[in-house]
Amino acid sequence: MRKYILKRVVTALFTLLAITLILFILMQLMPGSPFNDEKLNEAQRASLYAKYGLDQPIIIQFFKYVGNMFRGDLGVSYKISKNTPITQLIATRLPISIGVGFAAVLIGAVVGLLLGLLAAFKHDTVWDTLATIISVIGVSVPSYVFALALSYQFGFKLKWFPMLFSAKDVLGSSVLPSISLSMFTMASIARFTRSEMIEVLGSDYMLLAESKGLSGKKLVFSHALRNALIPIITVLAPLVVDLMTGSLVVEKIFSIPGVGSLLVNAIQSNDYNVVIALSFIYSAMYIGIMLVVDIMYGIIDPRIRVAKEGD
Amino acid sequence: MSNESAVLNQNEYIPTDADFVLKKNNADIEVDSNFASQSFWKEVIARFIRKRSAVFGLVFVLIITFFAFVGPGMNAYTYSGQNLEQKNLAPRIPIIEYTGLFDGHENINTTSGTKTVNYYFEKKLPDTFYWFGSDNFGRDIWTRTWSGAQVSLIIAVAAAIIDMIIGMSYGLISGYFGGKVDMVMQRILEIANGIPRLVIVTLLLLVFKPGMITIIIALMLTEWVGMSRIARAEMLKLKEQEFVLASRTLGAGSMHIIFSEILPNIIGPIITQVMFSIPTAIFTEAFLSFVGLGIPVPRCSLGSLISEGFNSFTTHPYQIIPPIIVMALLMLSFNLVADGLREALDPKLKEM
Amino acid sequence: MSTEKKKEKILDIKNLDITFDTTAGKVHAIRGINIDLYQGETVAIVGESGSGKSVTMRAAMGILAKNATINSGEIIYRYRDNKGGIDYDPDLDKDAQWKETDILKMDKAWIRKHINGRRMAMVFQDPMTSLDPTMTIGKQIMEGMIWHYKIDKKDAWNRSVKLLEEVGIEDAEKRMKQYPHQLSGGMRQRIVIAIALSCNPDLLICDEPTTALDVNIQAKILELIKKIQKERNIAVIYITHDLGVVAKVADYVNVMYAGKIVEVGNINEIFYDPRHPYTWGLLSAMPDLDTDEPRLYTIPGSPPNLLHEKEGDAFAPRNAYALEIDDKKEPPMFEITETHKAATWLLDPRAPKVEMPAELKARIDRMKKEAENNGSKL
Repeated sequence: MRKYILKRVVTALFTLLAITLILFILMQLMPGSPFNDEKLNEAQRASLYAKYGLDQPIIIQFFKYVGNMFRGDLGVSYKISKNTPITQLIATRLPISIGVGFAAVLIGAVVGLLLGLLAAFKHDTVWDTLATIISVIGVSVPSYVFALALSYQFGFKLKWFPMLFSAKDVLGSSVLPSISLSMFTMASIARFTRSEMIEVLGSDYMLLAESKGLSGKKLVFSHALRNALIPIITVLAPLVVDLMTGSLVVEKIFSIPGVGSLLVNAIQSNDYNVVIALSFIYSAMYIGIMLVVDIMYGIIDPRIRVAKEGD
Repeated sequence: MSNESAVLNQNEYIPTDADFVLKKNNADIEVDSNFASQSFWKEVIARFIRKRSAVFGLVFVLIITFFAFVGPGMNAYTYSGQNLEQKNLAPRIPIIEYTGLFDGHENINTTSGTKTVNYYFEKKLPDTFYWFGSDNFGRDIWTRTWSGAQVSLIIAVAAAIIDMIIGMSYGLISGYFGGKVDMVMQRILEIANGIPRLVIVTLLLLVFKPGMITIIIALMLTEWVGMSRIARAEMLKLKEQEFVLASRTLGAGSMHIIFSEILPNIIGPIITQVMFSIPTAIFTEAFLSFVGLGIPVPRCSLGSLISEGFNSFTTHPYQIIPPIIVMALLMLSFNLVADGLREALDPKLKEM
Repeated sequence: MSTEKKKEKILDIKNLDITFDTTAGKVHAIRGINIDLYQGETVAIVGESGSGKSVTMRAAMGILAKNATINSGEIIYRYRDNKGGIDYDPDLDKDAQWKETDILKMDKAWIRKHINGRRMAMVFQDPMTSLDPTMTIGKQIMEGMIWHYKIDKKDAWNRSVKLLEEVGIEDAEKRMKQYPHQLSGGMRQRIVIAIALSCNPDLLICDEPTTALDVNIQAKILELIKKIQKERNIAVIYITHDLGVVAKVADYVNVMYAGKIVEVGNINEIFYDPRHPYTWGLLSAMPDLDTDEPRLYTIPGSPPNLLHEKEGDAFAPRNAYALEIDDKKEPPMFEITETHKAATWLLDPRAPKVEMPAELKARIDRMKKEAENNGSKL
C-alpha cells in the first residue's frame, strides 16, 4: 500500500514537472511572449531579464521558473489587464469556477448513480430503456447545447433563472450552468454504473451470496453496491477534465466570470503569460485530483490495500 | 427412482419393425454440424442487427454522411456566398409552406410584445426559398449546415484514423515486447495522460494557427492514449496463445507477428474504439470552434455554425437549431453504433 | 452410510421442463427430467457442458436466471419441520416430522428464508470468482449464520473459526480477517465449502467443485466433502462432466444429454453395465493409464444446439449405433433393473442386439478386476 501511494505521488510529480518543462520551453519560444516582445526597450528588457534570471544558464532559469510557479508567482498579465499579477486575476475567478464545477460533479454523480442503478436493477424493462436513452443523450449532446437550451427555455422564455451570471444572485445564476455541466458527468456515471452493476449481478459471488439465502436488500447493500461502486471512482477523475473543457464554453454562454472565460479571453487576445499560467493551474488541479482519486481507490479496494501472501 | 417409462402422446408416431435397424451413420457423425455453421463475423453482424438502437444509429450516420456530401449541392447557394439583402430570413420550403410550417414567418420580440412577420413578403421575394433560413450575412443555412457537417466529419474521421494508427502501434509494441520496453512506454503514457486535454489543445493553439490540420493534430494528441491502452490489453491477452507461439517457433519476426498475426485478431475492439472516438472528436472540434479557435472563415464546421447562431439565438433561434440537431444526431448515432458494436463483439450478458 | 436408520427421500424432481428466452430465441434447456435423492446419499449428474446440469440444480435452489420459464414439473423438497438449530444433531431424525413442499410453487422470499443456505447449500465451480473480493473471509462465512439463526457476532466468529478448522484450514483466526485474493485456489474452495456448511444444510449441491483446481487438490477436496457428508449425514449432489470424480464419490449416477436424463443407475450399473451409447462414449473417453490405445477416445460431434430442437433422439446424430427410429421418435426410459434405466431404442425388444464396443468391454473387465483386488466400491 505504501509502495502504491509512493508510486502515484512520484508519477504525479513527474507529470507536473514534465508539463512545467513544456510550458517553460513554450515561454522561451513564443514570439509574443513577454520576454522577447519587440516593443520592450533595452532597460525594460534588462530589468525583466534580471527579475526572472534570464541572464543565467538555462537550467537555473528552469528551476527558478519551477520555483516561481510552485510558490504561486505566476507572472503578470500582459494584454487583458496590463501588469496585473495573474494570481490577482484568478483570485476572484477560481472560487466561482470551482463552485459551479463542484455543484455539477455532485449533481451528476448522485443523479447518474441513481439512474444507473435503476437501469441495472430493472434490467430489460422500460426503466432500463428510459435510463439508457437519457444517458446516451447525455453523453452525446455537448454541454453547451444543454446550456443553450436551458438558457433559452428557463432563462429567456420562462425567466425562472437569470440568463447571465450576476454577482448579486450567485446561487440562482449558478443553477443553469451547473445543470448543463452536470449532464455529461451524469450520463457517463449512469452508463458506467449500469454496466458495472449488471456485471456484478451476474457474477459467481453474487450467485453464491444468493444461495446463502440472504434477502434482496442485503444482497444489494453488502455485496453488489460495494463491488459495483469501487470502479466508479476511477471514472470520476477523467470526468473532472471534461468538466473543465465544458466549463470554458458554459462560462462563455452564461457570462460567468470564472477561470474558463479568462482562458478563452487570454487565448483570443494572445495573452500568452495568462494562457501558460492557467495551463499550469489546470494541470496542477487535474493531477492533484487524479492523485487523490488513485489513493482513495487504493484505500477502498482491498485488492490494492492488502497485498497478496508473500508479497 | 420414479418410473415414467413410455410417457406417450396419443398422436405420436407408432414405430414399426422396419424402424429397428441400425442406421450405420458412422460416416456422418464425424461432421461437427451444430456450432461450426456460423462464423464469428456473421454472428457479430446478427447480434448487431438485433440491437435496434445500433441499427438506428447506423442509418442516421449514413443519412447524415449522405447529406454532408450531397446536401450542399442540392440548391444554388454556396457555403460562402453572401447576400446582405436577404439576411436573417426564416426557413421556407416550397410546397410545405402551404401547411403553415416553414413558410418563412417568424416571431419577433419587441418592446410592445411578440409579433409575427414574414420577411419574404416584406422584401418582395416570392420565389426565394431558404430551406433552413439564411444567416446574418444572408448565407444559406441549409448549405452551410451540411458543408459544416462535412468538415466536422472529415476532421473527426481523419483524427480517429490517425490516432488509431498511432495509439494501436504504441499499444501493440508496448504489450508485445513487455518487460523494460513496456515499463518505459507505460510511464511515458502515464505522463501524457496526466496532462489535461484542455491544456494540450490550448498550448497547441499557441504554436500553430487555427485550422483543420491543427485541430486534427490536437485531437490526435489527446485521443491516442485510450486507443493504445486497448491495443496493449488485447496484445497481452493474445501474445501467449498458441498461434503466436507457433509462428514464433517458425522464426517469424516480431513486427510480422504484431501486425499480421495479432492485429487481425484485435480488429473488433479497435473498430469499436474508433467509433467511440469519432463523437469525441466532433465534440472537441465543436468546442474549439465555439471558443473561436476552430476552422477559419469563410469555411464552417458544425461548431462554428453553433457559435455564430449563439449570437442571435434569442432573436432568430432557427439559425442555431439545424447545426445543433445535426451535431447531436451525429454524436448520438456514432455512440449508438459504437455501443452496439461493442456488445455485438463481446456479449457480456450470460443468458442461461 | 448408516443403514440402520430409515432413509428419507429429500428431493424429488419430477418431469421438470425449462426454457430460456435468449436474444437468439427460445432455448429448451431442460426437457422433462426426473431425479430423486435420499438422505445421506450421493447422486452425480454427469454430462457435457450445456446439457443442463447446472440449470436443474439452480431451479432446485430457486436461483434461476430471470429469463427462465418453467413449463412444467415439480421439485418436491422434504424436510424436518421441527429442525431448527444451527448445530448438527445426530439424533435429529428420532422424532422428526417430515414435511414436503414444491419449491417451484413457493415465492423467492420463502425459498430464501427456509431453503437457501439453511437446508440446501451450493459449492460453485470456480473458487477464484465465487467469493466476494471486497469482503473478508470471516464476514462471508458469518453472514449466513447471523442472517438465518440470528446469533450474535461473537458466537458466529467462533463457529466460523471452528468451521474453517473443520474444512482443513490452518491459522483459521488469521484467515478470517483476510480477503479472497490473499488465498490460493484450493483454500478458497475450502472456504466456499465452509460457507456452504455454515448454516447446517441437509443437502449440498456441488457444481463441478474440483474442475478449476489442480489434481492434487481435487482429491483432497473430494475427500473433505466425503468426510463431512459422513459426519453430518447430508445428501450431496455432484454436477460434473468428469466420470473420474463420479467413480470416487457417487452412489447413484444420472447421465444427462441435451436437457434429458438418458441413463440412470447405481454406480456399479453405470460403470459395469452401461446401456446407453452416450454412456459408452463417456466411459470410453475417460483417461485410463492401463489402456493400450494410443489415442484418447472422444465422442464425435458436439452437444446439440438446443435452439433448434430435433425430432426423435437428440443423441442420434452423434451415435454410431443409431437406429432408423431414432430420427422419428424419442426413446422412452426402458427399465433394466429397479434402479437402472436408460432411454435408448436399443433396449426395445424389436431392436437388433448391439453390444458395447469391445475396447470398452475390455476396459470394464479390467476395472472390475482392479476393484476386486483393492476391495473398493468400484
